[in-house]
Amino acid sequence: MLRRQAMKLMGSVALLAGYGSVALADMPAPLDNPGDVKIALVRYLSTGDFFQSYLSGVETQAETIGMDLRVFDSRQDAALQADMVDQAIALGVDGIIIQHGLTESMKDAAQRAVDAGIKVVAFDVNVENDAIPQIEQSDYLLGKLALEQALKDNGNAFTAGYVYVPGIAPLDRRNVAWEEVKDANPDITEAAVFGTLDNPIANSIANQARSVMQANPTISVVFAPYDEFAKGVKIAVDEAGMADDVDIYSADVSTADISAMREPGSAWVATVATNPAVVGEVSVRALALLLTGENPGASVVVPPTLITQDFLNEQDIKNMDDLGAQMPQFQHADVAVADWMPLPTR
Amino acid sequence: MTRETLLTFAIRFGFLILLFCMVIYFSLSANGFASPRSAAFILQSVAITGILALGVTCTLVVDGFDLSIGSVATSALMLSAYAMVILEMSAVTAVLLCLLMGAIVGLINGLLIVKFKVPDLLATLGMMFLLIGLQRIPTQGNSIATGMKLPDGSAAEGAFSAAFLWLGRHRFDLFVEKLVPVPVVIFLITAVVIWVFLELTRHGRLMYAIGSNERAAALVGTNVNRYKIAAYMISGVTASIGGILLAARLGRGDIASGNNLLLDSVAAALIGFAVLGAARANAFGTAIGALFVGILLQGLTMMNAPYYTQDFVKGAVLVLALVFTFYLSAKRSAGGKT
Repeated sequence: MLRRQAMKLMGSVALLAGYGSVALADMPAPLDNPGDVKIALVRYLSTGDFFQSYLSGVETQAETIGMDLRVFDSRQDAALQADMVDQAIALGVDGIIIQHGLTESMKDAAQRAVDAGIKVVAFDVNVENDAIPQIEQSDYLLGKLALEQALKDNGNAFTAGYVYVPGIAPLDRRNVAWEEVKDANPDITEAAVFGTLDNPIANSIANQARSVMQANPTISVVFAPYDEFAKGVKIAVDEAGMADDVDIYSADVSTADISAMREPGSAWVATVATNPAVVGEVSVRALALLLTGENPGASVVVPPTLITQDFLNEQDIKNMDDLGAQMPQFQHADVAVADWMPLPTR
Repeated sequence: MTRETLLTFAIRFGFLILLFCMVIYFSLSANGFASPRSAAFILQSVAITGILALGVTCTLVVDGFDLSIGSVATSALMLSAYAMVILEMSAVTAVLLCLLMGAIVGLINGLLIVKFKVPDLLATLGMMFLLIGLQRIPTQGNSIATGMKLPDGSAAEGAFSAAFLWLGRHRFDLFVEKLVPVPVVIFLITAVVIWVFLELTRHGRLMYAIGSNERAAALVGTNVNRYKIAAYMISGVTASIGGILLAARLGRGDIASGNNLLLDSVAAALIGFAVLGAARANAFGTAIGALFVGILLQGLTMMNAPYYTQDFVKGAVLVLALVFTFYLSAKRSAGGKT
């Protein structure tokens, strides 16, 4: 008994040193002894800045609470991902975060985990299970906010180009917003739809966009709801010398995107994004709530933020850290929090 | 007799006539296709895959194959970004470093194949995976951009220098102001150099000899191994040139596997077999092959064709080209005998 107390004390001291004032002893069971709580992150997608940043969010929040995090990475192998859930069950984890994946392959695996008494949350994959809360970075809102800004800047009559690849879930959800805006504003002419995911994406999109711009010189607005798309369109617009005539609206943000948006005379005027690290933190917090018997709700939505070129220039924002400092709503989402829950310090 | 000459004519000029017809068709039906600016960006869109394809042509000539070119290109992309943004080196150093990397990868590929007797497809496949992983290790899988956060918490201070970006973005005046992008010029120069090397020099002819009959070439005193290694080194260096141009155009170090670059450039080289009825890898054919795919794709994009038709069309062209090469050429040689 004494040993356990001592260990807890040592743990609190370590955490206090790292993260400032955290009232650890106040956390409800089983998190009153967080070092004994094992959680697993089972990933489907992991390559790229977004997923890297998501992982860092999961790691910091898990560390702040003091939980023992295991990361399973299936690298886009759907069958392997399902096996990894079983592996996590065998390992005796208390909670699982499923990050992306296919409904068909993950549905049964997730059910097996729930049957084994494990708490599960899912990020951006619908496992069709009432016991499993869905973490989402509302892609629909992402598209909607960007388009609202486009309407505000350009009125409701313009010629638009649209970058879209059907069959990719987040892009399909962003497409819903585009369809709505088109229906509501009949004076918007969709002159061209193009898009490809050929790697490197920005380069392939730039080649396509050059052709589209040449064939449709009247385009004044391009809706490119993915930052790689926007980057490619921007290269094409610059090469065609049309940067003054075209405005690009997109989604997602990174340090590289910020510098592209801030280039003098850049056509990329606005983007809408959720911070993937924040989504990672929210995933862990939702799981922590579940573990302590609270209910985070069937769907936990991390709201997106509009980021305009003007804002970046006015505040002289150079990278993601600056952005977080100037935009508190980008650095932290007030979602899935509790009084007892320690939050990562900024 | 007339039928035979017709067949010979079809084999020799069929592909060029098809190319010509396609240009006429798009000029009439796609708005804005027939203009010097269109020509410039079609060339730009094929410049990078074209340069890679010229490298793979050299390995095809010695009856080899290089699957690693796509990942060599993306490794050069990452290396140049790493050198400039994180190590804060100059543009010249970054370019030299990339070329050196390409040459070393080519050398290792060549040695694996020649000295260790690993079959070419397998050796370069291994190299491909190795490089896809290797290029991500220094940045833990992150893309490289100015101001990025480094593992020690500070922000990267370096930037892509203007001289380096010039390689991807500057345009030379030709009739119209700011028309021809640098990558196109480099593509054309590479094409001419490789063409001269393969067709007009003794070394090039020996490489063709090795490709058609390695033993015979060795028996007449050719240093087969050295030429094979040279072919892979050329391929590695051209691939790294492609990667440098890609980095200069994008202005950041994006992680990418480069598999699409590989497939597109191999397709261009194979289509090249059919041009002028060569029925073998050749630099002129490769350049035309790359251009053919480029014109087709850009024309279709201008006509608003959806993205999935593009892969279909690429595939159809490749199959057609292979039929030209293997069926018609075989018929011609059979016709010659009887």
